[in-house]
Amino acid sequence: MSTSTPRKIFAISSPGGHWIQLTRLCKELETQHQMIYAMPDKRFKPKQGQKVYSVIDVSADDKWKLIPCALQVCWILLKERPDAIMSTGAAPGAVAVMLGKLFRIRTIWVDSIANVQQISRAGRLVKAHADVFLTQWPHLSEDERILHKGSVL
Amino acid sequence: MIFVAVGTQFPFDRLIRCVDEWAQEHGAAVHAQIAGGEYVPQHANWDRFMTTDAFNDQLNAAELIISHAGMGNIITALEQNKPIIVMNRQHKLGEHRNDHQADGLAWMSKLPGVYTATQCSEMQALLSRKHELVASGQHDLSRRSQLVDFIDQAIRA
Repeated sequence: MSTSTPRKIFAISSPGGHWIQLTRLCKELETQHQMIYAMPDKRFKPKQGQKVYSVIDVSADDKWKLIPCALQVCWILLKERPDAIMSTGAAPGAVAVMLGKLFRIRTIWVDSIANVQQISRAGRLVKAHADVFLTQWPHLSEDERILHKGSVL
Repeated sequence: MIFVAVGTQFPFDRLIRCVDEWAQEHGAAVHAQIAGGEYVPQHANWDRFMTTDAFNDQLNAAELIISHAGMGNIITALEQNKPIIVMNRQHKLGEHRNDHQADGLAWMSKLPGVYTATQCSEMQALLSRKHELVASGQHDLSRRSQLVDFIDQAIRA
């Protein structure tokens, strides 16, 4: 990694596998940048020095929660003013990417490695809106729009 | 000790029942995280949900991990150098909202230290030779470094 100006990055995902992937990717970024996290799991205990906001969980099964989740993410973005937003999915990340577009913050989507056959549902929703859209599978990349640059495993 | 974890999103009774019945028959020590499952283990110790610390304690104590085919537990098992058997959730049985876990099973089985089962019979066959299941040793992180470097550049762009 290069060592020029550190940026403030807001990293958000669903709990479980999305979060494990996100934190593994952010582990090295933490040495270069200021990381702010958000994740919907109240049982989760952040590591020392890790700033993790708790947000309302939302999934394809309870779409109405998109509204309170969006309000929370909106508040975090206004408070923290990050330079970039990064997500591995699913719905809470999609919310953040859409709000990032609204606030003109750079957005980076890394589709979960669990989506082997096709881009995730949340990924398909934000594909046209994220500044950088990455798949972890070479066979799912599509010229300039869906990039493959590596994977968490 | 065997640690079974089904994640927090959905129950996975088919997996819990399968491992619990095998453990009862073979007198094996099992701790299970069962989420909102209706089936309550008759033999295994169990929690519905666990804190990060409690989860890590069980993980460290276990010599074998059993899980739904979710990436979180697979990555964690690789990092902790423990062998893991995963069984995929099936959409048609109402175990997930789509079949992406079935789609992923073929490549998961190629990861060193990761073993896969679709049916209970396959899971129990693997359990019956559990002493032969070995962890990966070291896993290749070169693809991760490439991805992180690209993200770092994309953030600075």
